[in-house]
Amino acid sequence: MILELLHLADSALPVGAAAHSFGLETLVEDEILSPSNLAPFLQDYLGEAAPLEAGFVRRAWQGADPVLLTREFQARRIARESRDAGTKMGRRLARLVNSLLSADAIRDGLTYPVVFGLAARRMGIFEEETILAYLNQGLTGLISACQRLMPLGQVEASCLLWDLRPALRHAAERSITPEVSCFTPLLELASARHTTLETRLFIS
Amino acid sequence: MRVDAQQPPWRVIRAFPREDRGVLVHLHNVSGGVLAGDDLRLNLELGAGTSALVTSTGATRLYRHRDGAQESRQEIDIQLASGALLEFLPDPLIPFANSRHTQHTSVSLADDAAFFWWETLAPGRQAMGEVFAYERLEIRNKLSTPAGPVLLENYILEPRLRPLTSHARLGHYTHMANFYACKTGLPQSRWLELEASLNELCRTRTRAGDTIWGAAALAADGVAVRGLSTSSLVLPETLTACWKLSRRLLTGKEAIPPRKVN
Repeated sequence: MILELLHLADSALPVGAAAHSFGLETLVEDEILSPSNLAPFLQDYLGEAAPLEAGFVRRAWQGADPVLLTREFQARRIARESRDAGTKMGRRLARLVNSLLSADAIRDGLTYPVVFGLAARRMGIFEEETILAYLNQGLTGLISACQRLMPLGQVEASCLLWDLRPALRHAAERSITPEVSCFTPLLELASARHTTLETRLFIS
Repeated sequence: MRVDAQQPPWRVIRAFPREDRGVLVHLHNVSGGVLAGDDLRLNLELGAGTSALVTSTGATRLYRHRDGAQESRQEIDIQLASGALLEFLPDPLIPFANSRHTQHTSVSLADDAAFFWWETLAPGRQAMGEVFAYERLEIRNKLSTPAGPVLLENYILEPRLRPLTSHARLGHYTHMANFYACKTGLPQSRWLELEASLNELCRTRTRAGDTIWGAAALAADGVAVRGLSTSSLVLPETLTACWKLSRRLLTGKEAIPPRKVN
């Protein structure tokens, strides 16, 4: 299982994640986010949005209807760019997994957290490891985006990820809660306003 | 309009006919606010082809929680039949210091139904120095069409435990406003057009650091506008502008503001 887990959890998995900042670019543009306040921001992000997403990974892993899960997740994700990013990444991950497994294991049209859960289950990865892998991959992606948006060095980024392990584990625990609470209006607005930025490094 | 049942503290003021053959209805809370232990239920049903604008007579004040009492609760269930149009435009929600409140709103739209809705959340009685001094506020919103949910929101605000001043939540903004426009059966391309129009409107009213607005098409059948501000004064005008723009583009008819809306 460990090799399958490392493969799926790889932050460089070719699903297009590197093209998305999920609203962070707007927060940096507005001078709200900087290296000095990035750690508390990510800590609170892990307390809000991360358990919500991980909950969908978990329910997909457990066998819930993936089409209904996708619809529910999209209803919870108001910001269109972020929602579309999840759909595109989900499509690419599904195709990748089907290619790796040489099977039509996962259908098209599902959002990324749902596909991740399904893929992990097919690969024989245990549930809790799946959740932690998803959260770690997502957090790594956000930190990587920040490295391109602000002066954040490699060592600093690595330390940041390391120091957030307790918050990441807590997010995984909270993902068990059905209909978990999520309150991130500033980030949602940043994602909605991203479409209006004059210059953009990221698609979302 | 028919009132099947009503009990204090809520009272339905008589329906006033409007130019578009719909009705204007005011909901009045005779107690002046929501008290600990209150369990308020509102059920609205609009029949096929009917039209109504429902608003309130003042802000909803959530009073402080009393030890030993149940926290206050409000459940709103709205059913829109085919071709019905509801504009649900209440006044702001103001959670007083030490209040505890749960609010669930569920809206079901049949085919070709339309729904316009705004809500404003204040940080408290700012003039009294209360900012995020409430204890707990739970909000759940659900908008559904025959195809399934198009909007699901679920958040529990406990400012003392999880500060709302976090940049992952409100940052330095204190007031939040939301506007939703939904209409079943329109292609997503229409919603993207409306999103673009609303974002242009939002852009002209955004002052970074003071008030920011943004619009996004929902996954289907709707569009949402979010606003954050450091003041309550600027929100109503933009909410009204979003409503007017959306109503015109989605129904071909102009919005008819109740007299209290400027």
